[in-house]
Amino acid sequence: MPPLLNLFAARTAVPALRQSAPRHCLASTKAHRVHAHGITGQQRRWNSNSDYSRPDGKTPEEAQRAAESMPHVSEEAAEINKIIDKEKWCDGVPSSPELEQGTMVSEILSRDKEAQKHAPKVFQDQLKKGPSGSRSFSTSARPGQGEVEAQKDAQKESSSASASGSGSGSDATSEDRASAALVQSMITQVTQEATAMLPPGLKFPAPESLPRTEHYRKRYESVVDQFTKLMMRDGKLSVAQKNMSQILDHLRSAPPPNQNPRRRLLPGPPAPQLPLNPIAYLTLIIDSVAPLIKLRNIKGLAGGGASVAVPVPLAERQRRRAAIRWIIDASDRRRDTYFATRVANELLAVAEGRSGVWEKKEAVYKLGIAGRAMVGRKPRKK
Amino acid sequence: MVSPLCWGCLTLLRQAPRTILPSPTAVSQAAAFHTSAAIYARVPAPRGRDSAVGYRRSTSANIKKKRKVSERARPPPVGERKALRKRIVLSNPNALEVEGMPELSEETMVDSRLRGTVVGLPVPMLDQLRAVQAFKPKQGWSIFRRPGTVLRRETLEMGRLFENISGEGEDRGVVIKRIISGQRKSGKSVHLLQAMAMGFIKKWVVFTVPEAGELVSATNSYAPLSDENPHLYVQNEATAALLSRTAAANKAVLSKLRVSQHHPTLSAAKPGMTLEDLAKIGVQDPASAWTVFQALWLELTSTSAVPGLEKNFTPRPPILVTVDGLAHWMTHSKYRSAQFEPIHAHDLVFVRHFLSLLKPGQDKPTLPNGGALLYATSTTTNPPSVYSFDVALKQVAARHAGVDPSSPEFPQPEAYSKTDPRVFEALSSPKPTAAKEGMLEHQVLGGVTRDEARGFLEYFARSGLLRETINDELVGEKWTLAGGGVIGELERLGRRVRVAA
Repeated sequence: MPPLLNLFAARTAVPALRQSAPRHCLASTKAHRVHAHGITGQQRRWNSNSDYSRPDGKTPEEAQRAAESMPHVSEEAAEINKIIDKEKWCDGVPSSPELEQGTMVSEILSRDKEAQKHAPKVFQDQLKKGPSGSRSFSTSARPGQGEVEAQKDAQKESSSASASGSGSGSDATSEDRASAALVQSMITQVTQEATAMLPPGLKFPAPESLPRTEHYRKRYESVVDQFTKLMMRDGKLSVAQKNMSQILDHLRSAPPPNQNPRRRLLPGPPAPQLPLNPIAYLTLIIDSVAPLIKLRNIKGLAGGGASVAVPVPLAERQRRRAAIRWIIDASDRRRDTYFATRVANELLAVAEGRSGVWEKKEAVYKLGIAGRAMVGRKPRKK
Repeated sequence: MVSPLCWGCLTLLRQAPRTILPSPTAVSQAAAFHTSAAIYARVPAPRGRDSAVGYRRSTSANIKKKRKVSERARPPPVGERKALRKRIVLSNPNALEVEGMPELSEETMVDSRLRGTVVGLPVPMLDQLRAVQAFKPKQGWSIFRRPGTVLRRETLEMGRLFENISGEGEDRGVVIKRIISGQRKSGKSVHLLQAMAMGFIKKWVVFTVPEAGELVSATNSYAPLSDENPHLYVQNEATAALLSRTAAANKAVLSKLRVSQHHPTLSAAKPGMTLEDLAKIGVQDPASAWTVFQALWLELTSTSAVPGLEKNFTPRPPILVTVDGLAHWMTHSKYRSAQFEPIHAHDLVFVRHFLSLLKPGQDKPTLPNGGALLYATSTTTNPPSVYSFDVALKQVAARHAGVDPSSPEFPQPEAYSKTDPRVFEALSSPKPTAAKEGMLEHQVLGGVTRDEARGFLEYFARSGLLRETINDELVGEKWTLAGGGVIGELERLGRRVRVAA
């Protein structure tokens, strides 16, 4: 059962609606359609709805098709009106019954004498002939008209009931209720129109890419976080963070690296673009010198007591850890004044292939290749 | 056994060989109260560094611990660390050039349509701004292609004031006096920088005190002013540095103005010499720096020439004075008098001169040719917390709002609190009598608005530093994280790279 509405009382209660009678009608009809589907404004839940049922009864495919096709003549006219008049309604879209139900061609032709001359012959004949038959009433029905009629009937009943039941005081409350319901229906209409443009299943527009969170424990990139914590001494994290930001600024403002053809960085953006994204630059440098293996000395593999270096694979975080340790150790040998400058210069040296870190990696690989025959072999037990 | 010594004549005793130093036996005999001879005492082993066990050192066997060999034995040369710390980099060639970025000029500094955009500082002016030490090391100039500042509401308002003071309207020659304060990173020093840039655009004479704390931290030489004023102290080298800054930055203006007043105390000041040359006398001879500064100030605040020197006189331009870190001047300095009592900062003539400008002039304005006094508090230079200064600032605001000092609404220090009457005296500036002189104001800089924050973040994005889409959501997020648009915090958030996960 739809709520009782006094349309005429609402017009006097909400002065803004007086000028826009057609809009007002539209709003109320829409509201009733919602009620017909069994969802009232208050009952709607504000989370993403899992079922794709639409209030206007269209399937998602239909809505998609409607969105892709050209707009209706009267919609276009309304758009132009909106641009010319710069008039703003509460939802920014001036609406009229034409928008909802379309304009009949005969109506346009009856307004426009010029168009009548150029109209197809069938139309011209129809116009001359006038309505066929001898009925004094129209039998054509518009979509949604039945609801309007039913609602009007209900209104009449309710207004007569209230007039007979109590005095003018209940009239005022019913007017308030009516205007509140009207505003409610307008709001639901606006939200429906906003959600109509979204792809099915989404309440809000989807972000293009999800950036890192600003949560203070997870706000830094994993490489940056790992590097910072490996630079930390005596538990002074904020000092390490300050050094990290200096290092990133140094990478940002240093000239782009001239790459050594023998010791290339991993494939990535071209060198001139690297300083503009210092985190990607840092990641690329670290990953380029990160060893894939580490050497584990195992006694008694080759007989006797001699220990043999056996390569062991590393996970990504372990690889990076090894590279960062090497870089920080190598930076200790530099003569720059500040620790941050030493590390930053060492990183640039790695990027240009000048650093001793590359030799460390090559030495590990050489020994690892030598010891690869021993992988998987168990030490002999006596 | 018979002793060889003849007890009767003691002759053998005299024949005994006499040694220059007392023998160990003689020593032991001298210290008669010891029960054991000193010669038998164990000689203490020489205390080596390894064997010494100091306080809080482990006494356990130190076998496994390796001594760290520091390879960087030699520290960096003297002064290098400070030079690196104070280095100011104004350009990053890797950052993208922002296309269509307007420059600060006479038109743009008053154009309210540009509110929220970042305007570049004109390249020829950078040398002047460097000369007056307008840039500070940690303001983040080094990550952009060229230095630029955001035009916020306060900036445009100041631009209009400067325009009126230099213009031909009824506000020509007005003096504005402001104390600027605000929370940390709210852009006080950059506000002063914008004022200096506008002063250079309008061809004013700009005097700056970039670090007020350096004048009271006992790092400059000082001496009593004269025998007549033994309780006033002059800082010649700091004054010479001020003159050098002023002469270098305002060369174009000062070289067109000539000496047109009598300076009986300064024989080197010849009538007709340019004011730039006058200032350079003080730079070359720091002993006369304070006299030269007084002469220069007299010249710049004169409205007409003395009789006989009219041909040298041209109208003087307005003056801009900026001081950064005012709170340092509101307490005792680190200097000591001859009686080893602390010298109050107001007893230094340099400080006293600039603070006296805040008071209204006697019969004419303090700056008769107009201008602005902008004194900012600082939070980066570790300023002292002076309770009297805080209350005095509230009183300045109340006085400017028209509250009667005798009324109960007028802010007063708490009862029994330790206050400094000299601070209240220095900042109690009554309503001036001269029409062209403004009253002392207290301006508080807060956060920028969301629109201004948006313009600022767009500048980051267009420089290639912020790699995200600038929409209302992002601006609102950063604005809130920056404590309501505190611009230094916005800068910090803008330069932090977030890569899409």
